[in-house]
Amino acid sequence: MVNHQVDLPEVATTSRRRLLTSLLAGGAAAVAAPLFAGRASAEGELLRDPKDFPSLNEALKRERQMAATYASAAAKASGDEKVALTLLLDHHNAYVDAIKGYLGSNAIAGTEAPLASPAGSFNQIASPLASLEDQTATMHTDRLTGLAGHDAATLIASIITIEARHAAALTLLGGASPLAAAGA
Amino acid sequence: MTTENSSHISRRNMLRTSGALVAGGAVLAACGTTSTHGVPRIGATPTIPKLEDAVVSDAALLRTAMSVEKMVANILSDSRVAGIADKVAAPIVAGYVAAHTAHLASLSTLVTANGGQPYNEPNEQLMVAYGNTVLTLMSDGKKATDVLPLTFALESLVAATYQYFVSLTTNGALRTEMMRLGATSSRRAAVAAQLISSGFKAFNVQYESDGVTQLADSVATFPNAFGALNAVQVTLGPDVKDAPRANVLMDTPSLNSIIY
Repeated sequence: MVNHQVDLPEVATTSRRRLLTSLLAGGAAAVAAPLFAGRASAEGELLRDPKDFPSLNEALKRERQMAATYASAAAKASGDEKVALTLLLDHHNAYVDAIKGYLGSNAIAGTEAPLASPAGSFNQIASPLASLEDQTATMHTDRLTGLAGHDAATLIASIITIEARHAAALTLLGGASPLAAAGA
Repeated sequence: MTTENSSHISRRNMLRTSGALVAGGAVLAACGTTSTHGVPRIGATPTIPKLEDAVVSDAALLRTAMSVEKMVANILSDSRVAGIADKVAAPIVAGYVAAHTAHLASLSTLVTANGGQPYNEPNEQLMVAYGNTVLTLMSDGKKATDVLPLTFALESLVAATYQYFVSLTTNGALRTEMMRLGATSSRRAAVAAQLISSGFKAFNVQYESDGVTQLADSVATFPNAFGALNAVQVTLGPDVKDAPRANVLMDTPSLNSIIY
């Protein structure tokens, strides 16, 4: 019986564990690299322009005022009228949330007072509410000229589209003719 | 018992050798030449010119907006639509056609200011995609009740087009001008929706008493809090026995329907 004992060093210069660890690390790096590259690219596209913050904070303030106005009107209403006013309130709250979400930590905190205290039946308050919607949509439309960020402009445009609808429907329910309400 | 390690190929050596082979193979592959010999051909092979990259310029967006406004004006004033409108819808449709025609003049000025040539034709690609289908269905159905839903859908489409174009331009002043025009289409869409389903109850989507099924033929004035860019859907045409009527999906202009 012949025994050949091979003495190996206690710590191999290239142990199997090291080799496997290196391969795993290399593989992980290879997989992660494109992910990080993609993330960096996406962040570049979503970059917010600080120049837009003051204008967007003004938009935020206006939407808070609109939400406060509808909250005041909805508090005095009942039944289906309350449901309709709450829907419009929800829309403006959604605009507040969206603009705040875009601004992140640059959003100015605070609450705003209502722009009016509408009282009476829906048809009675529809016309003054329509004027406020119209003014808000116009302010946002003018705001687009100065916005540098694509995403900021896209967000504001999507708000304008529906606020113009608010204005027209409320104008119609306030007693205007269809063509006058449509602005056609 | 014999514990003899007589093999000269250890696991470590094998891994090293494999790695060297893979690396060597990669180097050799990189050194190789690409063969240009494909399938043998007889005769001359024409050189295919490379297509130029089309740029969606501000002028192209404005020209496309003109083509959409013109298309909507043409569809609404077509005898297959205007000719079957009832006394409620007829003046609305006529007023809307006049508004779209007026927009063409405003857009024409903007196109010229942006170095383009005004485009006073309907968008051919969109007519092929759904415009002609709409007119055929209106002709086949001859339903006066389809006129306002079609008007609502077309105005929603125009509003969505301008909203979409805002994201394609970096010109701030142009964004404002586009949304000024888009907002008027939004207003017209809201009024058309209210003429179909009137009152504040129709602001939101209306449901049957089960709370699940959407009320037939009802239109929500504000279906979403934000302006949507998805395809506008409208049901048109003749009744079909034991089948639903035709649904037409109308998309905003895309790269193949931009007027470059």
